[in-house]
Amino acid sequence: MLEQLQTILKEATSEISKANSLDELNSLRVSYLGKKGHLTLASSKMKDLSKEERPLAGKKLNETRSSITQNLEEKINALQLIEDNKQDKSLDVTLPSDPIASNGRHPVSQMLDSTIKALRRMGFSLASGPEIETEWHCFDALNTPKDHPARNETDTFYFEDGRLLRTHTSTVQIRTMEKCNPPVRIIAPGSAYRRDEIDATHLSQFNQLEGLYVDRDVSLADLKGTLEYLLQCIFGKETPIRFRPHFFPFTEPSFEIDILLEAEGKKSKWIEIAGCGMVDPDVFSEICKARGDDYYSPNQVSGFAFGLGLERLAMIKWGISDIRLLIENDVRFLKQFS
Amino acid sequence: MKVSIDWLEEHIDLSNYNDSEISDLLTFSGIEVEGIIKYPDKVIVAEIAKIEKHPNADKLQVCQVNDGEKTSRQIVCGAKNFSIGDKVPLALPGASMMGGFEIKEAKLRGVESKGMLCSQAELGGHDSDGLWILPSEYETGKPLNKIYPTVFDLEITPNRPDCLSHIGVARELAAVCKKSLKNNKNYEANSDSLIQSKTEDIYIEDSKLCPLYTLRKIENVKIGPSPQWLQSKLESIGLRPINNVVDITNYVMMEMGQPLHAFDSGKIAGSIKVRKAKQKEIFKALDDNEYELQPDDLVISDKNEALALAGIMGGANSGVTENTQAVFIESAHFNQSEIRKSSKRLNLSSDSSYRFERGTDPAQVIKASAIATHLIEELADGKTNDEIIICGNINFPSRNIPMRLDKCRKILGCNIENEKMTDILGNLGIKAQSHEEGTTQWSIPSFRNDLTRPEDLYEEIARILGIEKIPSIQRGWFSEPSDADKLHDFVDHLSNKLSSIGFHETRSLKLISKSQIGDCFCCLNDNAIALKNPLSDDLTHLRPGLIASLLSIAERNIHQGAEALRLYESGTVFAENNEIEEFQNIALLISGPQNRSWLSKNPPAPDFFSLSGMIERLIGENIIFSPSESNTENTIINCEIILKNSTVGKAAQLSPAKTRKMDATFPIYIAELNLAKIMEKISIMDKFTELPKFPAIRRDISMELPLEITNNKIISTLNEIDLDILESFELFDYFHDESGEKLNSEKKSLAYSLTYRNDKRTLKSEEVDKAHQEVLKELKKNLDVNFR
Repeated sequence: MLEQLQTILKEATSEISKANSLDELNSLRVSYLGKKGHLTLASSKMKDLSKEERPLAGKKLNETRSSITQNLEEKINALQLIEDNKQDKSLDVTLPSDPIASNGRHPVSQMLDSTIKALRRMGFSLASGPEIETEWHCFDALNTPKDHPARNETDTFYFEDGRLLRTHTSTVQIRTMEKCNPPVRIIAPGSAYRRDEIDATHLSQFNQLEGLYVDRDVSLADLKGTLEYLLQCIFGKETPIRFRPHFFPFTEPSFEIDILLEAEGKKSKWIEIAGCGMVDPDVFSEICKARGDDYYSPNQVSGFAFGLGLERLAMIKWGISDIRLLIENDVRFLKQFS
Repeated sequence: MKVSIDWLEEHIDLSNYNDSEISDLLTFSGIEVEGIIKYPDKVIVAEIAKIEKHPNADKLQVCQVNDGEKTSRQIVCGAKNFSIGDKVPLALPGASMMGGFEIKEAKLRGVESKGMLCSQAELGGHDSDGLWILPSEYETGKPLNKIYPTVFDLEITPNRPDCLSHIGVARELAAVCKKSLKNNKNYEANSDSLIQSKTEDIYIEDSKLCPLYTLRKIENVKIGPSPQWLQSKLESIGLRPINNVVDITNYVMMEMGQPLHAFDSGKIAGSIKVRKAKQKEIFKALDDNEYELQPDDLVISDKNEALALAGIMGGANSGVTENTQAVFIESAHFNQSEIRKSSKRLNLSSDSSYRFERGTDPAQVIKASAIATHLIEELADGKTNDEIIICGNINFPSRNIPMRLDKCRKILGCNIENEKMTDILGNLGIKAQSHEEGTTQWSIPSFRNDLTRPEDLYEEIARILGIEKIPSIQRGWFSEPSDADKLHDFVDHLSNKLSSIGFHETRSLKLISKSQIGDCFCCLNDNAIALKNPLSDDLTHLRPGLIASLLSIAERNIHQGAEALRLYESGTVFAENNEIEEFQNIALLISGPQNRSWLSKNPPAPDFFSLSGMIERLIGENIIFSPSESNTENTIINCEIILKNSTVGKAAQLSPAKTRKMDATFPIYIAELNLAKIMEKISIMDKFTELPKFPAIRRDISMELPLEITNNKIISTLNEIDLDILESFELFDYFHDESGEKLNSEKKSLAYSLTYRNDKRTLKSEEVDKAHQEVLKELKKNLDVNFR
């Protein structure tokens, strides 16, 4: 028995030292130390030994087991180290990564999002209204003369029942004042439609963001402060902004807002980006008539309104020269905004 | 509408202002200047002295021109519409033309040419047919911009028809620069002494549609071309001179905004009637088109037929011709919406209808007629008596608007004094009449029909005062976004990206045990801060980095059988360098294959390049992973994450021994980044890049290199090659054989695809071949490389 143990140890040591993979070592562990392994088989002969022989054999058996185990572990560690070192040495970390497509939101949505964030911080909430509108909401209530060219079928899309696709989001001003008592401070992003031929600067469906603030004693100074702040949020603190007197039927006084666009290698240019003004008292009177009360009487309240063209803002912000890129959705274009 | 500076200066002294200042004055009073038309410097009047054939080109001629200097100047010219003695515009060398090109001396087909003779179109006009033949009385050598004044193209909003004339624009300018108008000699033509005969000769069917109609008869007129001053005046604002009488009516319209029409009195039979058209009445207009009218249309007719479509266009049969002996000058006031309807329906508009449909000033009707008559007497030898035939009302009661100045202050949100407001209104011709309990009655001039309510006066005050005088107020208190806001939004942004690619956010305690400090791999800080009186031995130090927490979380999850791990945590880390500092970091840990499913039983486990891909996804593609040393045996593949030359974080793989210790089956990758450093360096897209219009050509390079030459080294070598058409390059294959059987194990094989493109044209294959050879040469020169 003792000789047998001696032989097992000798063979095991020799085989372990010869092994050069972790797999081999694992099978060696099984063939020597496993349930049917050499050592286990040898130990089963213990019962055949005499009482006197047993303690010595038992001791030898344990010594042999721990020697083999130790040999195995040492060898495993040595091999592991070689394996570990190999890994470290061969990797060039500057190789290109396994890319994850990083795509995302459309530039107009991004512009809308940043505009809404800035305005919400100033206390505006979102409002909405239908895109299929009545002529009253789109024109009459907004003090647009009956023979105003914007009402022509050449300029506006109509339906058989006389309704139309709203030509501006200013309709939401009316929708809001119809159902909410003042004060109101709302913004309404959405589509507007005009029968314009699509070209580099026109779409027949485009996005606007409307704003309306009605309260006691709202002044032109409030309008100026709000829009200056908003545009600086979008285009940066240093961006030159100018207000130019203009004319809209539903505001008085009215202004157009320009910002100075600086494109590399080109002469800087003032670009019109918004219309705004103090809500015309005729609009308030029309609302009072429709509501049948005088919450919005021009003697009680004043307000300002503005409308921004979101495509225009996006085009200015990112220097996009052709508005059609915004609806073509070429992925090479979209990718630039991810 | 176009207005010329010289013409404006007949009414107002603008000598203290240059063109761009005048443009600003107009723009900020609400009249947007859409363009400034000015002939370039160094374009002069030249006289043709000699014309010869070009020796080498049939289509060209060689001209000798007199440019006002003693010697003649030789110009090669392609046009043929001129002869000796003609005066034409000459652009001298140095003249900067439309479209930005500069005239230079040049040889055209071997013949020297010292300038360019120009067509009208080449100088910004309409006519591109041959050279622009100038009037012969123009002085040779005189700059064209001294003859033709600067012209502004104005956008007049529909509420301001009073500005559709030179006097109207001058009035606006006078109000904004607080000047008074000059006395203009044309206005001396006195209308007060006219005998206003009300007569049966004119019948107005509906005075709502035509409240006032006048005719003035002028006999013995000699129709011919207008004098030069009048022709160039009209030409300067884009009108084509026709004959003296028609030019005068146009001139008065552009001067005063009152459209006039001249009839040949010899072609009118019987009395004049202003009536509605008959159903399907055919009208032949001056433009030689026939229009089918409806009863909605208003016409001027004699006893036989319609002579004019009221306010829109005269008829072909009653107009002034060279044989005309006597004329009727019509000056009238029409209902604006009637004119608009007809003009729209017939798709016929004119300078006249444009003004009538926006609204004209009835108080100007007789005055305009008198001025035109006076000019016709002067320039066409006309004879007339003092009689003007008038039908309609000529009494125009003055209109008042009640307005409170304190209300105006409130609406404008601006503390402007009463006197200032009164001055502004006064300069616009709006005068205070009476005053009662804070409300003043303001009288409105007849030409300002757009002013009807107090709000309209607020607007007048706001625009003349200037928006810059209005303060900016933000209602409702709110604070500017702070750095903390920006950090919050940035973390939010990163979190959204990470959750979209499968990461869980973890939140762990910031106090860790002493033993965990050693697990803060990829830590950007050195010294952890210890508490003086810790509650327990587990929570003794503030974490200097986030990885230790992520590892213990990973280990716990692995023991619970989790295989795929995508974890991130962001938050404060602490360190004591010279003083105690706090940083905001974000850390990532990834291990094990994700998306194992019945469809995909053995998805690949992430490797280092998965981690680098995720980090690129987070902070952009311009980051560089640079190998670095580590002071612990527990990590391998250590590298720094570099963004624009600044180290913003570290990444590594846990060593296999450490990985085994955690009982993990798959490799574990970790990274930690400093948020402040990223926010400082991260780039936000400024301007978008135009999509390429021309196709690209690709060429591949396959090469063998020593193992130690990194991809980075190859990329920087490629980047340094100075080739405009090399647009981009991309690694598409990598091969290394540890066993050395297929390729020497000390070498690797890399293949790149190179994209060549020219933004301006399609590339030729030969030039790409040449460029590609250049690239290969540079690679060979700089790197130990063999091409395969």
